[in-house]
Amino acid sequence: MRTAYLFVFAQAHQDFRLPEILSIAELHGFTITFPKEGQDPSRPFVVLELEEEHHARLLARRCILIKAVYEFYAQGSTYEEVHEANRRNRHLWSRYIENTSFKFMVSAHNHTIPQWRQREVIESFSYMDFMGRIDMKDPEIVIGCFEEYPNRSGTTRAKDEGDGEFIQVWFGRLIEEGSARPLIKKFDVKKRAYYGNTSMEAEISLFMANQSLASPGKLVYDPFMGTGSMAYTTAHFGAQVFGSDIDGRQMRGKGDQPGIVRAASQYGVSARILDLCTFDITHNPWRCGELFDAIITDPPYGVRAGAKRLGRKKHRPDLTPSTPASVRDPDMPYIPPTKPYELAELARDLVLLSRYLLKPRGRLVFFLPTVTDEYQEVDVQTMLCEGMEVIANSLQDFGSWGRRLVTIRKTTLERYPAPTFDARLPAPNGSEDVAAHVPAHQDFRRRYFEGFRKVVDDESNK
Amino acid sequence: MVRLITHNLLACHVRGCNSNNFPLQFQDVQIGLREAEFNPDFLRGFLPKIEWNALVGAARQLGDTSLPEEQPSMLDDDFLKTLHHVLLEIHVEEGAMVCPNCKHVYPISNGIPNMLLAEHEIG
Repeated sequence: MRTAYLFVFAQAHQDFRLPEILSIAELHGFTITFPKEGQDPSRPFVVLELEEEHHARLLARRCILIKAVYEFYAQGSTYEEVHEANRRNRHLWSRYIENTSFKFMVSAHNHTIPQWRQREVIESFSYMDFMGRIDMKDPEIVIGCFEEYPNRSGTTRAKDEGDGEFIQVWFGRLIEEGSARPLIKKFDVKKRAYYGNTSMEAEISLFMANQSLASPGKLVYDPFMGTGSMAYTTAHFGAQVFGSDIDGRQMRGKGDQPGIVRAASQYGVSARILDLCTFDITHNPWRCGELFDAIITDPPYGVRAGAKRLGRKKHRPDLTPSTPASVRDPDMPYIPPTKPYELAELARDLVLLSRYLLKPRGRLVFFLPTVTDEYQEVDVQTMLCEGMEVIANSLQDFGSWGRRLVTIRKTTLERYPAPTFDARLPAPNGSEDVAAHVPAHQDFRRRYFEGFRKVVDDESNK
Repeated sequence: MVRLITHNLLACHVRGCNSNNFPLQFQDVQIGLREAEFNPDFLRGFLPKIEWNALVGAARQLGDTSLPEEQPSMLDDDFLKTLHHVLLEIHVEEGAMVCPNCKHVYPISNGIPNMLLAEHEIG
């Protein structure tokens, strides 16, 4: 028999909430059911069903976006409805009547309830007849009542104006406060021993680590390691991490000890950074495939850091090819020429490489920037290949552009050869339409610097 | 860094260098030992991916002879601890790895190997 739980989410990254809890449920091998059709996951209160209370605790301890989980007693658009439902669910709370110390908490989302009405609300629940001691510091149970108001930011209003005009009231008993959210402070980029201008913010790095199902004994790879933002959070959850980057300077920083190792030591996870290597993923030295449980990365998309691959922009027959370090002055390290790596091409290559390097059921978790107005569902399909399936696609909206966190699972057991990264073949599984579709992330860099103007606008301005 | 687990996974990838390109040979190395957490499940899971002879050879080249010539069929704790030490606790900090076939030199500095190829090697 499943029990309903009320999830209270942090008011951030709405699109990421459900993918995160589904990932953590998969990690621990349990399932979540959605009892009500049409619950809006962009609202901070969601009721979900679980088999065991323990599962609710596991979610609260690992999910970055969970503020708290309550045993669900009642909800309603008026207090009459809430009380009626709560009376029906008496069997859920009757065992606390006799002798349980408790604390009663009333709060609101998008609003502050005045003290006098908080008291009124508490007293309206007096029919529950709890006889235990009221204990504000160390109660045995915490009962929570939440009023959810519409977002009225941007309007000026008098104190307490609109009080009581809530959309919904939610009521339940606290199971566990979310204890993963404080990790955002721990991994704060500004307090990190080593970071760069493209380091990923802590909250998203933690979220990505959850999407990758990082846990002890897993092997995770970041092929665009940069300053290692995701490596720290992934390692924090117990996984071992490999990193590579075409530009070793990003991983090293100044000083003898690589910057990434210094930052990892700060978090006590340096032993889990298995190794860092300098190479280009399109010319990679991996001896075999099916090595990793997850690939987690934030590929450069050409705005703050340009994506590069080995090679030259144009073939120059008049130049003799440059020579490697062994032939030159040893004090002058050899730096091979690089050329830009177009984003849509990079994304397709990354999926192909992941199919080769991931174990079956392994996950690829990465960010794809995109032009908000032009994005279509099919964009993500253009980079898929056989045996790889999108399981989550969440938008972080920045206005005219945004980035999508895409989670792809390797569904195939078949072994594929290492990708060659040369000819631009259309995606093999796609229909002609998908193959011919130009995704909104193509040429992202150029369009970013053009301010995402549409071609039509250009002509009308002339 | 450059632990033997990594060394066991890297092959020379110069264009056309397709045979005898693994394992890379260590050259002029400085090594350090650093403790890592012992995780028997990880080791058992990873073992099928290991090229055993390459691992034994690389360990001997670095002066560690604790691994048996043949991969044992019984994975007892003693063996896993030895394997753990060899795979994860020996770090090559400086030196180079050289391809036995094409002789490409992959330098290692501050524990980070440079596996980039030159223009004429990528074709």
